[in-house]
Amino acid sequence: MEKIILEHFQNRKQEKETIPKNIPVIVSHTVVHKFFLEVYSLTIFTFRFFKEVFVPPYELNELLKQSFLIGYKSLPLVAVTSFIIGLVLTVQSRPTLEKFGAESLLPMMVAISIIREIGPVITALIFAGKVGSGIGAELASMNVTEQIDAMQVSHTNPFNYLVVTRVLSATIMLPLLVVFSDAVGLFGSYVAVNLKGNVSATIFFSQIFQSLEFKDVFPAFIKTFFFGFTIGLIGCYKGYNSNKGTEGVGKAANSAVVFASLMVFIIDMIAVQITSLLQN
Amino acid sequence: MTTETSTRETKDDDKQINSVVVEMQHLKKSFGDKEVLLDINLVMNKGENLVILGKSGTGKSVLIKCIVGLMEIDYGKLLLFGQDISNLKAKELTELHRKIGFLFQSGALYDSMTVRENLEFPLKRQVTTISKAEMNALVKESLENVGLSETIDMMPSELSGGMRKRLGLARTLILKPEIMLYDEPSTGLDPITSKEISSLILEVQKKYHTSSIIITHDRECAKLTANRIIVIKDGVCAAEGSYNDLENSEDPWVRSFFE
Repeated sequence: MEKIILEHFQNRKQEKETIPKNIPVIVSHTVVHKFFLEVYSLTIFTFRFFKEVFVPPYELNELLKQSFLIGYKSLPLVAVTSFIIGLVLTVQSRPTLEKFGAESLLPMMVAISIIREIGPVITALIFAGKVGSGIGAELASMNVTEQIDAMQVSHTNPFNYLVVTRVLSATIMLPLLVVFSDAVGLFGSYVAVNLKGNVSATIFFSQIFQSLEFKDVFPAFIKTFFFGFTIGLIGCYKGYNSNKGTEGVGKAANSAVVFASLMVFIIDMIAVQITSLLQN
Repeated sequence: MTTETSTRETKDDDKQINSVVVEMQHLKKSFGDKEVLLDINLVMNKGENLVILGKSGTGKSVLIKCIVGLMEIDYGKLLLFGQDISNLKAKELTELHRKIGFLFQSGALYDSMTVRENLEFPLKRQVTTISKAEMNALVKESLENVGLSETIDMMPSELSGGMRKRLGLARTLILKPEIMLYDEPSTGLDPITSKEISSLILEVQKKYHTSSIIITHDRECAKLTANRIIVIKDGVCAAEGSYNDLENSEDPWVRSFFE
């Protein structure tokens, strides 16, 4: 009898010991499984985009409308943030450069920082927050209220009408916004320089243009197309495949921003590596 | 004489065959492990208002979404206008689906478009040769049909639930479909508006000679609109008949829908 009781407690002890060890394994399997399912699903979605982008009818009116909403409507936000970034960057950099007597290099340093990195990345992050979440929430709410189904019943390809137009608009508009953002950021820097001194606009901007090279501008501009495409695609993917219900709308908007912002950094890192490899 | 009689019989048969616009034979549909429709057999005749009743989650909406092509059937036959859809090419099927209108439960109006743009949307997509004047006339007519002419430049968010349903109906009717599918047309509406929608369904039937499938939980709506009622239970058609037949059914479960 004692032996049986002892065995029973030993078995219970073993169960208790094995359960905590098993749980992380199960959880990690589920997380990994979900991750690969998501990657697979996003890959299919991306392939579908490239397939549908060449299929008529070409929704030019919707493309123009979305470009206006995505690009033009983002100008004020981009302008304010870029101006502040340019101004703050200059003000913060000045004391350090002054220590080395390199104050005259300030416009060059700020210009390269803004054009190579800060302009594209900050604009892309703002874009992900404003446009990525907007697209995610809009498509998710259209999904919930059966508007996407209604489009299909009206014999309109909802993927072509909603996804292709938005992704293309984002891909085209973000580079233009980045150019605008760079210009405003440099203007902010010019204002900051003049807070403590008196430098003419001609001298300031000619110094900037003399210091900039093709290798500074071109790769930075090219990567913004990838930023725009990724933000548009992720926003559409999250919205188009959202769960039904209002909870799905919130989740789609939120995950679109988080995922798109993360992807901006990953693409930036890859772009920098490729650029440095090509330059060496 | 014999030949004449047989010819007449053949013609009558043809007429009967042609008069069937939707037919389902042993239709099955499941989502993963969950079997929603197990064995659906139904026939809808031309010009008929067929009401489908059943508890929530019994697959009533799934059934009409299969008809309009929003969902695919897993097993069985679905015949639209006498043609088995499984034998049709994609283009032929699209042509058949063009003859079907669908009124969504929520109205499914496009939030980013005005009422006019909502009504123009299906026209621009399907009638490529239409002039601006013809389009304006059709939009005006559709809005007059549902009594909402004054809302033409409003946004859907400015409209009440009943108005949204009526506009959804106007948008569907603008293409003059031969079959109308109504997914819970009176859900979420007050009894008066609900009655207005039911009357509108009858008007549509009379004016455009449409055949309709109406999914509803609303007893009054069923009473007003139904030529025939089918009750779905556990994925099969459990009862069929007129409103009066089913109201006095021997099966207490069927009767419970009419109490």
